[in-house]
Amino acid sequence: MSSNAEWQEGNSKGEPGSSLHGVTGREPVFQMTMATVGEQEATDLKGRKFALPVDSEHKAKTVRLYSVAAPHMRTFHLSWIAFMICFFSTFAAPPLMPVIRDNLGLTKGDIGNAGIASVAGAVVSRLLMGTICDLVGPRYGCAILMMITAPAIFCMPLVSTPVGFILVRFFIGFCLATFVSCQFWMSSMFNSKIVGIANGTAAGWGNMGGGIVQLVMPLVFDIIRRDIGSEKFTAWRIAFFVPGVLQVMMGLLVLTLGQDLPDGNYAELKREGEKVNDSFKKVFLYAVTNYRTYIFALTYGYCFGVELTVDNIIAEYFYDRFDLNLQTAGIIASTFGLMNLFSRPLGGVLSDVVAARWGMRGRLWNLWIIQTVGGVLCIVLGLTGQLGPAIAVMLIFSFFVQAACGATFGIIPFISRRSLGIISGATGAGGNIGAVTTQGIFFMSSKYTTEDGIMLMGIMIVACTLPVIFVHFPQWGSMFLPASKATEEDYYVSEWNKEEQSNGLHHASMKFAENAKSERGRQSPPRSKGQAVGVDQL
Amino acid sequence: MKFSVAFVMTLMLASVSMAQASVLFSTLERTLVVEAKIKEQEISSGIALAGVSHLVISWHLNESFPVSVGDKYVNVKLRLCYAPVSQIDRGWRKTNDDLHKDKTCTKGIAQQKYIFSGNSTTWRVTKDVPGAVYFVRAYAVDAEGNQLAFGQTTDKAKTANLITVLPISGRTGNIDIAAAIFSAFSVVSLTGFLGLESMRSKRTSK
Repeated sequence: MSSNAEWQEGNSKGEPGSSLHGVTGREPVFQMTMATVGEQEATDLKGRKFALPVDSEHKAKTVRLYSVAAPHMRTFHLSWIAFMICFFSTFAAPPLMPVIRDNLGLTKGDIGNAGIASVAGAVVSRLLMGTICDLVGPRYGCAILMMITAPAIFCMPLVSTPVGFILVRFFIGFCLATFVSCQFWMSSMFNSKIVGIANGTAAGWGNMGGGIVQLVMPLVFDIIRRDIGSEKFTAWRIAFFVPGVLQVMMGLLVLTLGQDLPDGNYAELKREGEKVNDSFKKVFLYAVTNYRTYIFALTYGYCFGVELTVDNIIAEYFYDRFDLNLQTAGIIASTFGLMNLFSRPLGGVLSDVVAARWGMRGRLWNLWIIQTVGGVLCIVLGLTGQLGPAIAVMLIFSFFVQAACGATFGIIPFISRRSLGIISGATGAGGNIGAVTTQGIFFMSSKYTTEDGIMLMGIMIVACTLPVIFVHFPQWGSMFLPASKATEEDYYVSEWNKEEQSNGLHHASMKFAENAKSERGRQSPPRSKGQAVGVDQL
Repeated sequence: MKFSVAFVMTLMLASVSMAQASVLFSTLERTLVVEAKIKEQEISSGIALAGVSHLVISWHLNESFPVSVGDKYVNVKLRLCYAPVSQIDRGWRKTNDDLHKDKTCTKGIAQQKYIFSGNSTTWRVTKDVPGAVYFVRAYAVDAEGNQLAFGQTTDKAKTANLITVLPISGRTGNIDIAAAIFSAFSVVSLTGFLGLESMRSKRTSK
């Protein structure tokens, strides 16, 4: 098979100028770009050159935000915009809640249930999306989901009862699973050294949809009321066509312009024998038997879950507690989501920067610190009673909570290579479960005021971040324990049994293990078996 | 830079929010007599349709008070207020003694000049009135808008003479049709694309 041959040639057993930078620990490892000294111009299956420098898996080694070159950067932009529009649709109702609650006669309980419903659907869809990505590819997964949930968005203008409202928000919420396809896509297209910033930027800019919508929906509502002259109770319904149409358009773009892997689409690669059809049972098994999956699902529930919760309640919170009008409350609420422009990517960057020096242990500490500080700030937010300070605290809190999300996904790609899709999905689902739980406990009934709910949510964040302490990688260590003698190959190849290895199914994991040696950090002596770096042991 | 913008914003908002001293509802005297009727049915409590029914509201100074009580009154503000049954589990309609924070009477009906012999007004229930149970309250205010006294159509417990408003749905036929068309487009174009791609791949693999 052609790609095998290429890859074996690229293996140089540690000679200078090889493509295996960083392995010996004596060469400098650059954060955002990797020198491609001596490496041939990489080409994809069809022999076309890549626009960006790539590694042995053809994953890009840099992120050029201003470029739309296929496949890496085009994927990047399609992916984050698609995710952003899904966020936009899911949170299109909250900024208009003061109007909707009057039209439908909603009680606080109804609004709380709808908020929970909006993020509950995605628990299931995110888990499924991971599998779908593993099996048919992120392009189909993303596009199909977006276009199937678009009818649910178009049902919102037809809603006339509280139950209808809750149901529609539930079905719209399914599209939040595009998060998983987005992260999966990023992890497939970008090298492990920059996967943190790639994931963080794409997801962060996607999450911004939750902020943009708080600005846009009140504006659209206003325009429809003033310029078209509709009644309030009609105008909000017409406004809902905006997210619906955007979502359909984006789904079509993803289908036509997207590509699953640097080398091509799953269907093409399967035909040419490049992409191996994996067994769902095995992929699922390795995901659920890995304890790290569960820990990160929980902690993600308390950074991303909190972000979803705040997206649902913050506009109404400012409207009611500080007596603002709809547009002002919307503007303030939007700043929370808009911080994602840089806070989530920065979380990913910090993760990568810290990893360059301290490896995976650095990434774990980075995550724990950022998320805990976020929890403390959440407590402060609930206790702040003046408008000005509340806005300031909310902004800082949003930075930390979103950076924690970015930092989490700087770690996820390393938990498993084979089951990356399911684990991404499980983490994402955990985020939504966190949102469901938090809204259910603190923001449903009139037992707690919203400000008390926010404060208690902060306490829960701090408590649920502690499990990060228990995440241990044999080859890299954990927060308090050093690495053992295991190597990256041991860890990643152990996901395949002897039979699968003898069929050569684990080659991609070997390539990945190679590239993952960067997680040892600087100044760690090489621990590979013999002098070879393991890639040729077949 | 984002933080300095936020800081300036907070200063501006802080200065704006330092408003006048608050009036407490419990300090107001009930010197006005207010009556409201649903015009089409000539009854003072019942069901009114938003956008269709009219309320005829009349008010005057209670005869048991001397006319001098109304010396400081400049205007009378008529407002549509939520009855307790419509406030349950809806914190945004909560009654608060501090009239600055009170959300009971959010819908304004009319404002008329105060004269002790009173006045009346006919008001069509607007289409943005939510479906709920209401009563009508009149606040006598001074030149700055501070409340000095009140009157209402219902009793202290807010259980008598209540008007139920049936709201508009907000849906129109055009919206229904547009929703159906857009949904169909989404599903059909998706199936079309997938079908095309699988046909194309079958062709190339042959």
